[in-house]
Amino acid sequence: MKTSLLASDARTKKRNAAEARFKAYGLSAIVVAMLALAILLTSVLTNGLSSFQQTFISLPIELAEERVDKQGNRDPAEMARTTTIGYAPLLRAAIVAEVERQGLTTELSDKDLGDMISKEAAATVRNRVLANPDLVGETITFDLLAAGRIDGYFKGRVTLETAALDGNTSPEALMVAQALADAGVIETKFNWNFFTAPDASVQRPEAAGLGVAILGSLYMMLVVLFLALPIGVASSIYLEEFAPKNRITDIIEVNISNLAAVPSIVYGILGLAIFINFMEFNQSSPLVGGLVLTLMTLPTIIISTRAALKSVPPSIRDAALGVGASKMQSVFHHVLPLAAPGILTGTIIGLAQALGETAPLLLIGMVAFVREYPAAYTPEAGLFGEASTALPVQVYNWTQRSDPAFVERASGAIITLLVFLLIMNAVAIYLRRRFERRW
Amino acid sequence: MQSLTTPLLLIFALAVIGYFLAKSRALKVAGGDVRALVSLPNQHALNTALSTAVPPAAAVLLFALYARLSEGEPNWLFSLVILGLGVTGCALSLIGIKTETRARTYAERWILGLLIFASSIAIMTTVGIVFSMLFETFNFFGQYDWRDFFFSLTWSPNFRGDSDLGIIPLLWGTLYVSFIALLFAVPIGLFAAIYLSEYAGPRLRSVAKPAIEVLAGIPTIVYGLFALITVGPLLRDYFAEPMGFGQSASSVMTAGLVMGIMLIPFVSSLSDDIINAVPQAMRDGSLGLGATPSETIRQVVIPAALPGIVGAVLLAASRAIGETMIVVLGAGAAARLSLNPFEAMTTVTVKIVSQLTGDTDFASPETLVAFALGLTLFVITLGLNVFALYIVRKYREQYE
Amino acid sequence: MEDLTHVDRAMSTAQDIKISAKGVQVHYGDNHAIKDVNVEIDDKTVTAFIGPSGCGKSTFLRCINRMNDTIDVARVTGDIRIDGEDIYDPKVDPVQLRAKVGMVFQKPNPFPKSIYDNVAYGPKIHGLARNKADLDEIVEKSLRKAALWNEAKDRLASPGTGLSGGQQQRLCIARAIATAPEVLLMDEPCSALDPIATAQVEELIDELRQSFSVVIVTHSMQQAARVSQKTAFFHLGNLVEYDDTDKIFTNPQDPRTESYISGRIG
Repeated sequence: MKTSLLASDARTKKRNAAEARFKAYGLSAIVVAMLALAILLTSVLTNGLSSFQQTFISLPIELAEERVDKQGNRDPAEMARTTTIGYAPLLRAAIVAEVERQGLTTELSDKDLGDMISKEAAATVRNRVLANPDLVGETITFDLLAAGRIDGYFKGRVTLETAALDGNTSPEALMVAQALADAGVIETKFNWNFFTAPDASVQRPEAAGLGVAILGSLYMMLVVLFLALPIGVASSIYLEEFAPKNRITDIIEVNISNLAAVPSIVYGILGLAIFINFMEFNQSSPLVGGLVLTLMTLPTIIISTRAALKSVPPSIRDAALGVGASKMQSVFHHVLPLAAPGILTGTIIGLAQALGETAPLLLIGMVAFVREYPAAYTPEAGLFGEASTALPVQVYNWTQRSDPAFVERASGAIITLLVFLLIMNAVAIYLRRRFERRW
Repeated sequence: MQSLTTPLLLIFALAVIGYFLAKSRALKVAGGDVRALVSLPNQHALNTALSTAVPPAAAVLLFALYARLSEGEPNWLFSLVILGLGVTGCALSLIGIKTETRARTYAERWILGLLIFASSIAIMTTVGIVFSMLFETFNFFGQYDWRDFFFSLTWSPNFRGDSDLGIIPLLWGTLYVSFIALLFAVPIGLFAAIYLSEYAGPRLRSVAKPAIEVLAGIPTIVYGLFALITVGPLLRDYFAEPMGFGQSASSVMTAGLVMGIMLIPFVSSLSDDIINAVPQAMRDGSLGLGATPSETIRQVVIPAALPGIVGAVLLAASRAIGETMIVVLGAGAAARLSLNPFEAMTTVTVKIVSQLTGDTDFASPETLVAFALGLTLFVITLGLNVFALYIVRKYREQYE
Repeated sequence: MEDLTHVDRAMSTAQDIKISAKGVQVHYGDNHAIKDVNVEIDDKTVTAFIGPSGCGKSTFLRCINRMNDTIDVARVTGDIRIDGEDIYDPKVDPVQLRAKVGMVFQKPNPFPKSIYDNVAYGPKIHGLARNKADLDEIVEKSLRKAALWNEAKDRLASPGTGLSGGQQQRLCIARAIATAPEVLLMDEPCSALDPIATAQVEELIDELRQSFSVVIVTHSMQQAARVSQKTAFFHLGNLVEYDDTDKIFTNPQDPRTESYISGRIG
């Protein structure tokens, strides 16, 4: 029974159809994965990009002496007695005057108009005045933060319909805001404050920023870098180059691969129990956060460092030993420098992982509301001992607040975090490409 | 702790001074001719610096530990001991500098000691994890019956006391979410890995591989936010509400789906390694008999890779069970034993976070239960990991 | 042995041409691996491809059942016909082709399945058996042909990877003949085997000639002389000489063949 190759039989057709189906499953799996990535990024970007913009109201404010400097002696200590509540009427008067100057008629009360300015704005003005008492008595034009709802209106988050149901604003206020914007008084500009300002209270999403969080994350990364890198490299060198092959080394190796898979929250419990309860380090401090993240990152760094050491061919070691170098010298003079790019890449990837880690930091108290920039060192709190927060924890914090303006902030913080991660990974990839060596 | 900082700084300074002293002394001993020395001046210097610094540093660690255990502050005696150790070490090594001293060997012994210490940190971490949780878990079981913890079907902590702290509803939520995540991630990850390694052309591979790797690099808080603001409302508005399954945006489905996305790269990169470990000869054998590529994959490659794939799935399961941020933001906070995937449920990790971040008395069972939960979580994930790593290792050995 | 080959040659000349190749060129990326090869291979004959490493003999062998298709960078041009049909015709399904042209590889590569399932794999995917009894029969016949039946009949359910090297290679041969191919390609089938196993496989090859056209790539000239009736000598991607085996070994026409046979190149 001879069959021709040129005609495919029924069975082959069926098998080829199965082949095509199988390929289609594979392709659709990839499409689903890539689609998921695309949706995720789009969702974060559409929700968060607007946080890099902020609405400001530009108002000339008369800093009347009887209001801000009751003693009239320009002494900042005395002037500080006037609280932000004392400044609020100045701002209110300024916006009412501005509305009149623009010839707008509105049914809004003066208080409603005043509420269009962020509660944070009074503090901004006050700080400027306290820093420079000579301003008292003059009329200075300030760029003041608009209230969250007004800001939301210009970003499309708040509409006339939603405002009608909202106790914090009204359609009339939005219409006034629109008129002021048309007149150039209200402007939406790039929001540097988002990166520098500390967190703000629940009522003031427009003022909330990432300053403290970025600083806290930076401190923690420093702790991780200065602890995890040397410890990781040292233990990799020992395990890879010196350790005798026995039960104990076996246990250490199994232990490290298991540590890499321990849920991150367990490290949080460890940090809470050991570093805070037992060692009595300060809660919420970047030091404790950094220590916890160090322990978490260590397995990653050890695994990649060992891979880098392993990829240096034995001939290099033999060559060094052959000219009379000790084992230690062959490792430190020859193997380690050759493995350095691989170690560095692994470390950066480990740091990137640590930067995005959230769960353990929640347990060591980094969820606390922190408005003060933490100092790197103070005699009382020690090195990195002042309460702080961190980028991913700030995201979590903002998601727990009810005002939808905080969703924008959280997404914006995520974008910032992702940009940092992108940079770190790009550096790692660059290093790998630049210094990659094939033996 | 603070009182030990000053002596430590002094020791550090002494080590630096010792380094230079030793260097010049070695040269002097050699009469200016380095060749007369068995070890180079640098080696003497290093040995002196290490002899000065290492013993006091070790002592500081021990003292700090002792002080914490005995609930006392380290006093001046400690400082004296530390300084004494440093000065003795410095002096002894300086006196020991002779032409025939094998300073290199001594210095390297110190370094080896430091390397061993660094490796032991991994072990200490594990011990720390186990003890920190074991200790508080015992405290917890002193106040709360372990049978109720493991077998009670209700979880309702009450901060006035008299809480029900049964782990079963939490475990149920954890397993349910993980199950849905794996249901989503395993087929997609596996098929993606198969397609990329067996079918895809270089162009698609150069796009899809990095894209999937990007998914792996995204922090879980990002997935959590994605679940909270996008997936949750979407599932609620288009599935749960129209179909009458519930009105909650946080649900097992939300968390499971998003966690599934997170696990795709994990499953696919592990499967990729495992599928690539199957020798090409095996594929050739099958193709040479006239099997189609898909027949080869289904009947030869996958069966050959099966143990490895099972290992990968177990590792993914352990990841899913221990995942925190996605479930905190996506699954909800209500402990519930229900089959409806569109209902909010809660997990072990969510409750660890909520019990330990509240402002409660640290000694109350409502707080301590978090340690028992943590220990349970640790044991489960550790068991899965050890088992999975064992399988994967056995599998790798088979083809090496 | 000498006498035997003479007789065989007499037989083989009476056969039809099974495979004919004209102007075959193969490129691996930038590497020109096969340069204009023309050859006609007889049915019911053992044809040996010999030549130094990297001369293209295995590459050419893999063109005959289109195994080169599985390598992304390989590009094959020219014309290869089996029974007069162009196997690189777009209408030809390589899957069907490979069922017709079986292959045995350099290293024994049994699947991680039982001995039975290894042999039954081909018949199953090609639907050669109507029922279990049919399949059992095919498996037994193939194992018998591969001279493995006596050793394997009591352990059909044990894994094929548990056999010795020579047994594994005979299992792979049984697996290949179970699909009832018309041509059997063997890529250095004995290079991973010890002398005893090699002798068994060589004996087997000689018997297979009754039913198939066998093409064998080999490193060993002695092996080519022992098992083949026709021999092709490849050098640097060229087919240098193709003739009756004893002619090649006793009276080569090309100086390169002569140098190779006398051990000066290789």
